[in-house]
Amino acid sequence: MSGARALLAVVREAFASTIAQPVGSAIGLVVVAGMCAAVLLTSGRTVAAEQQVVASIDSAGTRAIVVRAEADAGLDTSVLDRLTGVDGVEWAGAFSLAEDARNAAFAGGAPVPLRQAWSEDWRELGLPAGASADGAVAFASATALDRLGIDGAVGELALDDGRGYAVGGRIETPEHLAFLEPLVVAPQPPAERAAPVGALVVIASRPELVAPLTGVVRSVLDVADPTRVELRTSETLAALRGLVEGQLGAFGRALTLGILGVSAVLVGVLQYGMVTLRRKDFGRRRALGASQRLVVALVTIQTAIVAGVGATAGSALAIGALAAAGDPLPGPRYLLGVGTLAVLVATLAAVLPAVSAARREPIAELRVP
Amino acid sequence: MTRPGPALLRADGLSFRYEPGRPLLEGWSAGFDAGEVAAVTGPSGRGKSTLLYLLGLMLRPVSGEVLLDGEPMHARPDRERAARRAATFGFVFQDAALDSSRTVLDNVLETALYRGDDRRTSARRAHALLERFGVALRAEARPGQVSGGQAQRIALCRALLGDPRVLLADEPTGNLDPTSAEVVLEALHEQAQRGAAVVVVTHDPALVARCDRELVL
Repeated sequence: MSGARALLAVVREAFASTIAQPVGSAIGLVVVAGMCAAVLLTSGRTVAAEQQVVASIDSAGTRAIVVRAEADAGLDTSVLDRLTGVDGVEWAGAFSLAEDARNAAFAGGAPVPLRQAWSEDWRELGLPAGASADGAVAFASATALDRLGIDGAVGELALDDGRGYAVGGRIETPEHLAFLEPLVVAPQPPAERAAPVGALVVIASRPELVAPLTGVVRSVLDVADPTRVELRTSETLAALRGLVEGQLGAFGRALTLGILGVSAVLVGVLQYGMVTLRRKDFGRRRALGASQRLVVALVTIQTAIVAGVGATAGSALAIGALAAAGDPLPGPRYLLGVGTLAVLVATLAAVLPAVSAARREPIAELRVP
Repeated sequence: MTRPGPALLRADGLSFRYEPGRPLLEGWSAGFDAGEVAAVTGPSGRGKSTLLYLLGLMLRPVSGEVLLDGEPMHARPDRERAARRAATFGFVFQDAALDSSRTVLDNVLETALYRGDDRRTSARRAHALLERFGVALRAEARPGQVSGGQAQRIALCRALLGDPRVLLADEPTGNLDPTSAEVVLEALHEQAQRGAAVVVVTHDPALVARCDRELVL
């Protein structure tokens, strides 16, 4: 018989033994299910909260580096060329100095600041799908449209110098551009000549890159007067992220390991008890020709089968309880990790009792009344 | 009693004790040839069953040797002794020793796993054996649902499944009615005729009378 077929035969026998001993299997299943549920309802809840906080911190706003430049600072659109290809930059966009724009439909309306914008990727600007960047169309946020008195996001804007822009639609103001509210932007085609820039936004691909990228951004600004440039970052939030991930994560891990450790002892004791109860069964098997290795394999595979079902049931129960309570759910990787760990812990805990069962004298066990 | 010359299974100066200072067997020797049915008899407590376990490589003697095909087995590693038990021996225990949580068919098929035999092929043979010994209708029953006589016949089916070269039976007819006992006795002789050495521990004079040899402990 080939190795794979032999293994399949052992697994089938372990499965049949599991079914044939419903009480023992049910107790093992309940212990492992309880272990999984306890982990998920305690540290799983912590991890889910941590994942939510970290996800919130990881949003683009946290990763933004914002440069505000005064009119005579000398910052222009060439800075985007210098940022091209810098590692760790997810997105960069430049905005001109604000110009007052009013609803062209009636005179004397409230002005809103309009900015021309330059970027290689307009999706980060929150423009509607298919929006053009031909320089003649502007997009406005709901706040800006409201202030302009434009309904339906369709209209015309007039600047004080007589230039005008068509309103191409409404934009959802991204978190990293909230400081520009009320937001009206006019996306521009790539600048043939360097144009003055009043604001530059650079988004780092990861929170921990904010600090090093800040230095890079500062070095490529190439402004005439650095004192007229202000640079703001979310380094504090990035540090907070590290704290959240580190301390909450460490707490969750310690809790998980603690519960798994206690459960491993429980499973080990349970297995030892089961093996003791089944010593006649193992004695018969050994007497009839089962090797010690086969007995160990049967006990551990049987435990793994029970633990697998128990882990699935316990996880499902815990997810149901968390969902019913409206608590955040840990991610699938965490769930899979806890389940796998529970099965591994239970199986490993069964090895020692299995070895103990296999090493007993077959006849001494078989003669147990 | 000793029996010189080559033998399929041979005990050579076997000594054994369960407790220090209380020897059960001392320097016991005998040979068992292929094709013969030998009866081991003697009063209770003399170590007849223990002798069977020693011959079947389930126990290791304190001293002496068990030789299978002339090869000493005492010092062989457990894995090899287990493989030999599964491949070469068939056992019928005094109390049948069936797994009460499994079906009769599963019990008969148990040793196929230890030999690495194909389950489907073994199942066909198991059904044929159950048929032959009149317990085919109980194939899906649990051992707790069959009589003592049926349990012993099922144990015999399990022992014969691998067509063993050595068949060791401990009181195989102890729980059987005369008709069933006759069927079992015929099976033991048939296995001997197929080239097996058959060793039977028994108190049954009728069974002893039908054996080729009697060894008294």
